[in-house]
Amino acid sequence: MKHFLILTILITGAATYAAAQTTRTLVYDGKATEVSVSAVAADHLWITTSDLTRATRFKIKPQGVCRDELCFPLPKNRKADFITRRGTIDWFNLAEFARMIKQPFVADQKNGVWYFGPLAAEQNGYLASLEAPNFTLPDLNGKLHSLTDFRGKKVLLVTWASW
Amino acid sequence: MAQDTGGAKDAGRWITAAKPDYTALVDEQQVVTQRYGMVNVPTGVWIDERGRIVRPNEVAFIDDRFKSFTKMESAPYIGAIRDWVQNGSKSVFVLSESELKARLKPQSADRARADVEFGLGEYLYQIGKGVEAIPHFQEAQRLDPDNWNYKRQAWALGDADRDYGTNFRKEVDKLNGKPYYEPHKLPEPKKRN
Repeated sequence: MKHFLILTILITGAATYAAAQTTRTLVYDGKATEVSVSAVAADHLWITTSDLTRATRFKIKPQGVCRDELCFPLPKNRKADFITRRGTIDWFNLAEFARMIKQPFVADQKNGVWYFGPLAAEQNGYLASLEAPNFTLPDLNGKLHSLTDFRGKKVLLVTWASW
Repeated sequence: MAQDTGGAKDAGRWITAAKPDYTALVDEQQVVTQRYGMVNVPTGVWIDERGRIVRPNEVAFIDDRFKSFTKMESAPYIGAIRDWVQNGSKSVFVLSESELKARLKPQSADRARADVEFGLGEYLYQIGKGVEAIPHFQEAQRLDPDNWNYKRQAWALGDADRDYGTNFRKEVDKLNGKPYYEPHKLPEPKKRN
């Protein structure tokens, strides 16, 4: 009987852990990545710091949360809202970070998909420089072309659609 | 630059038939629509040799096949392009920095939210969850009601009347003769000797 009780507790513990740690799809920079999530709540997205870097290229550094030249310091009095350690794993609240830096995002809870848009500075940066926003897209053969490939030529960019 | 959520499946036959001698790309995440804040097709942007915008988003019909519907002639726009090609930065159609800054506006909060709702809808559609994409497309349309790209693309992916209670023709009829896609007024080309 005692063994049965212990086994029951072990199974229940494992099930609780499985429910607490599950996966979601994160679409960031237009690319979908499966990530582990913890403490699932409708308006929070806690992902491991290694998944943060894998999915978004952001890294936690002493000066803040950084990608390339861009760094966002975390408010000292609210650090626990963004980073926490559970056991041996460091978790990062990507939704709270997006709210702080005013990055648009939306979640579809039923399908477990979180979609993040561009950072406001990236979206509106060209308004000051007037430099046409770069993009890289495929032709019908799958060959990728970037707008910057056409430097030195005039470009007439025309959109159309089959619809 | 095909703005088609269906990607090459939807846009490919048109590109093949056109036999283009220019670069024809397929944009199944509508990246260009979002990055440039576009709201309709065809939209044209002129970019100079330094990669700088010299005319931002505007109506860009390059022939008259839709003239009976749009009431727009393509000739003035084509003439403007030719003038730019010949005269470069001296073309009367190249906008000054102050004119450009007056036309280019920061993205609104609603447009930013519309872009992510639409992007999420596209993602769900592309992984085979077309029905579950519909509420996200509807939300994008609610947030950015003048964005024909977000309406027409979503309507085209299923049965517009069934899924959205409307269709392109009905929505154009509601305009009661107001222009469906109004061009900027082009200046007269300079006479050159």
